[in-house]
Amino acid sequence: MKLLTVLPLQFHMDPLGAIFAVLTLVIFISSGVFSLDYMKEEKNKRSFAVFFVLSMFTELALCAASNLVTFYLCYELLTVMSMPLVIHERSAEAKMAALKYLFFSLFGAYGALFGIYNLARFASSLDFVLGGNLGSDVFAANKGLLLAVAMAMILGFGVKAGMWPMHAWLPTAHPIAPSPASAALSAVIVKAGVLGIIRSLWYVYGADKLRGTWVQDVFMILALITVLMGSMLAFMEPVLKKRLAYSTVSQVSYILFGLAVSFGQSCSVNDTGLKYASDALTGAILHVLAHGFIKAALFLIAGAIIHHTGATRVEDMRGIGLKMPITMTCYTIVSLGLIGIPPTGGFISKWYLATGALASDIPVFEYLGPAILLVSALLTAGYLLQLMIIGFFPGMAFRQSVQDKELKAEPGMLMTVPIATLTLLSLLMGLFPEPVIELIRQVFI
Amino acid sequence: MKLSFAFDNFRLLYAGIATFMWIVSLILSAEYMKHYERKGRYFFFTLFTYFATLGVFLSGDLYTMFIFFEAMSLASYVWVAFDEREESLRAAGTYLAVSVIGGLIMLMGLFLLYDAVLEVMGNIANPLDVSNLALLYGTSDILGDPGLPHRIWAAGICMLIGFGAKAGAFPIHIWLPKAHPVAPAPASALLSGILTKTGILGILMLSRYIFAPVSRNDDMWAAIILIIGVCTMALGAILALFSVNIKRTLACSSVSQIGFILTGIGTADLCTDELAISGSLLHMVGHSLFKLILFSVAGVIFMNIHKLDLNDIRGFGRRKPLLNAIFLCAALGIAGIPGLNGYISKTLIHEGIAHLRMYTALLNSSGIETILSYDVVTVIEWVFLISGGCTLAYMLKLYICVFIEKNTDSELQAVYDEHRDYMNPFTGGALVVSATVIPVLGLTSGYSLKGVVDMCADSLRIDTTAEYYLEHFFTWECLKGGLISIAIGLIIYFGIIRICMMNDDRTEYIDLWPKWMDLENAVYRPVILYAIPFVLTVICRFFDNLVDALICLLRDGIFKDSKQQEELAEGNRFTYILGVIAGRLSRLKRRILKAKGRTVGKPVNYVHRFAMDYESFKESRTLIFRSMSFGLMLFCLGLVLTVVYIFITRLW
Repeated sequence: MKLLTVLPLQFHMDPLGAIFAVLTLVIFISSGVFSLDYMKEEKNKRSFAVFFVLSMFTELALCAASNLVTFYLCYELLTVMSMPLVIHERSAEAKMAALKYLFFSLFGAYGALFGIYNLARFASSLDFVLGGNLGSDVFAANKGLLLAVAMAMILGFGVKAGMWPMHAWLPTAHPIAPSPASAALSAVIVKAGVLGIIRSLWYVYGADKLRGTWVQDVFMILALITVLMGSMLAFMEPVLKKRLAYSTVSQVSYILFGLAVSFGQSCSVNDTGLKYASDALTGAILHVLAHGFIKAALFLIAGAIIHHTGATRVEDMRGIGLKMPITMTCYTIVSLGLIGIPPTGGFISKWYLATGALASDIPVFEYLGPAILLVSALLTAGYLLQLMIIGFFPGMAFRQSVQDKELKAEPGMLMTVPIATLTLLSLLMGLFPEPVIELIRQVFI
Repeated sequence: MKLSFAFDNFRLLYAGIATFMWIVSLILSAEYMKHYERKGRYFFFTLFTYFATLGVFLSGDLYTMFIFFEAMSLASYVWVAFDEREESLRAAGTYLAVSVIGGLIMLMGLFLLYDAVLEVMGNIANPLDVSNLALLYGTSDILGDPGLPHRIWAAGICMLIGFGAKAGAFPIHIWLPKAHPVAPAPASALLSGILTKTGILGILMLSRYIFAPVSRNDDMWAAIILIIGVCTMALGAILALFSVNIKRTLACSSVSQIGFILTGIGTADLCTDELAISGSLLHMVGHSLFKLILFSVAGVIFMNIHKLDLNDIRGFGRRKPLLNAIFLCAALGIAGIPGLNGYISKTLIHEGIAHLRMYTALLNSSGIETILSYDVVTVIEWVFLISGGCTLAYMLKLYICVFIEKNTDSELQAVYDEHRDYMNPFTGGALVVSATVIPVLGLTSGYSLKGVVDMCADSLRIDTTAEYYLEHFFTWECLKGGLISIAIGLIIYFGIIRICMMNDDRTEYIDLWPKWMDLENAVYRPVILYAIPFVLTVICRFFDNLVDALICLLRDGIFKDSKQQEELAEGNRFTYILGVIAGRLSRLKRRILKAKGRTVGKPVNYVHRFAMDYESFKESRTLIFRSMSFGLMLFCLGLVLTVVYIFITRLW
């Protein structure tokens, strides 16, 4: 669909966009249902609802955009639409966080814009075509500039994906938003940055050109630093929602690392001659889905805990498993998924990411990458299982100090059903991964 | 990657043993857990662990094995943390940490192995199937790049750490002496009897397939396994001697027996010996059985008197012939007394070591260097015999304490003697059945145990046509090793335990548990919980705050907000500064005056005063200027009039 001739606005839903769009719909709808209960007593309900829905539609438009100009417009619009979600509380802190979000995102978008201007000059068109529109002769003639362009786009879109060094907005802005909004922000809206990198590099630039260049090295280093830093800081963070935000910083960079190692190796050929997406790329897209479901569920659970007990710090949540057994069972399952313990979706994606990295044969990084992913998984276990342990095994002293009657605080159906749905989806991804993997493998042919 | 299962004899045998153990354990649990709350949680996770364990034993490749292994490790956490006492939670934390860290290291090994297989064999259907892996190491230096054998080695070591952690091998045995005693006894029996064997299964797969004697070109792997095995065996045995808690003794004993099994595996790989590996296999089976019974008896004691300390439970077993017989069977079996199956398995391992010694002597005498010299192997043999002796000694310590000696508190002893109803018929029946198996297997070893080895020969790649294959179980040579062990055991018991580990009048067992030797508190916890996070946090905070700090710096530097002109409420800058100076001076003066004791009046606000002065000055100035200008105007007007007048009068 073409809207304008001067500035070509085009929409077309391809399989990759569809995967992101489905994720968007699932998470926004489940968070939306959750927010019906959660936001009941909040102020500014109406503005929240309006911008929540607007964010969803902008994200859907983003997924369906079929050239870089349209994509960029939706991308900027998404920042603007989701900012009111951050500012929801209207406190000074929320305002500062929202401003930080806005400025970082705009800064990143300008980096991407620089790339778009240059691509418009060198590429034959800005339409999304797998393999890119940038001729190899043009690339050879302007290699220095075009590599800088690729780096600018990676850094620019990387801001939204929370990649170091421009990640600082994420742990500030995500926890301050109401929980359903945090879920949407952390699970879907950060993925806009991932989609941006995929769209610009794979569909316009031609990612194969970047194989073995300094851009790939820098991208991998940045992603790995982010992975380790995010989990380490999450491990040291006492406030649950902030911990989850740092966890997002780390986990989204798993995806970015998967993208970085698959430059020049988007496809493999199996013994029957069929082409399919390489393991690292498959793992990256799988992790987009797995992390989406899991992180949304985790933020909703954090929201349910805050709503029902008012506790925000992890150490105040002792015995929470006795109060909300269903919620905390879901928490345990999704936590195991995020750590990457079978049989959950997180394990499958991590398996593909790591074996993909090893198969890429990039010196040093083929081993360093999986090793850092595992160290980060260990830290993930440290910061997520702590709540599971004190939640379900609060100790004799705690059990003797509370009465059974004051224990029950299970949230209502409007809260538990979205959480359980997301948990189930993450579990199903791990139990029956084949259909999803087959789907993803068809995307990059 | 798809799940795949295999049903060869060894796997089926172990699946059968697991099922049997779970049945016995559940029968005991039904009685043991009667008075506990949260039974549902216990039974749910017991069943969950059962299915996961079955999955591990029946897995067809390492990928499937890993998946069930992780599920098993995590589900069994609930056993350890079950009663939520502080020490249980601490032990459970250690257990979980070891499981998760071990699992992740193992996963790294799997990644490396998977990559190596793909590189050598291309895209094959089931890359991590052990039969594929058997070819891998032997062909790796021909087919792959020169670094490939090293990568396979790295993979092997990673997986060894993962499996070793579950098996309780030195130096990752730390969780075992803590987790087993705090879990409910039926669960301890399973943890010790069968969960540790999953680790052994993994090590067997590595040693018999990937680094198998037939496909290897170096002895390093076998030597590593052997050394780990000897350390584990000796350490566990010594720790078990010191312990005065029945379940802790049994847990340490598990560590030690796992060491025996690993020693057998290592020996077998080092000299392509069929005896040692058969011994290891039989010891695995035997140990599962022994520990099931021993922990169950400990459980029976605990559910009656809720105590585990030897000084408290002393004399509980008197006048309980059934419990006595059951315990004795297992204790003598594990100690390797001839006639029971433990004797056969230990003898086979010992024979393997003896072969290794002779083999090494032969090679050394013909000038060939071996990875373990003759002296080292001799030391290993003696360590083996002494550890075997220790097994007898600590089992005697338990047996004599519980079933023969009287409690020092004679009233308590009378109560214990009156305890007739100490277990229900179901528990009793299950334990009797389990205990009968031990002498039956021992006495019919020529058929039954040989049958077991024959059955599993294919799965473990035991060469049944080898020269020494299970020929002499009862020759004088073999019996000699066993007898030396027994003699050492009696010496240790009567020479050391009765003399050094009890107080002078033999009324109390002294707790000599070496707390300072605790690797966990001394090394692992400080390093993992404090040192590494501290360093990493400092680095990560730096990275985290880099951009924020830069922005702050820029805002303080070149993007500094221009200062707003502040409006003075009164006066101007000059009067303000003058006023401030005067105010300071006057304050100084007042302070000096006060110090001198003079009375001072009210302080004056000089800023205000000067401002007022300035205002009045401005006012009068205005007045003056205005009056001056008016005067000047009049003057000018007068001047003009005068000039006009002069003009008029002079011109006309």
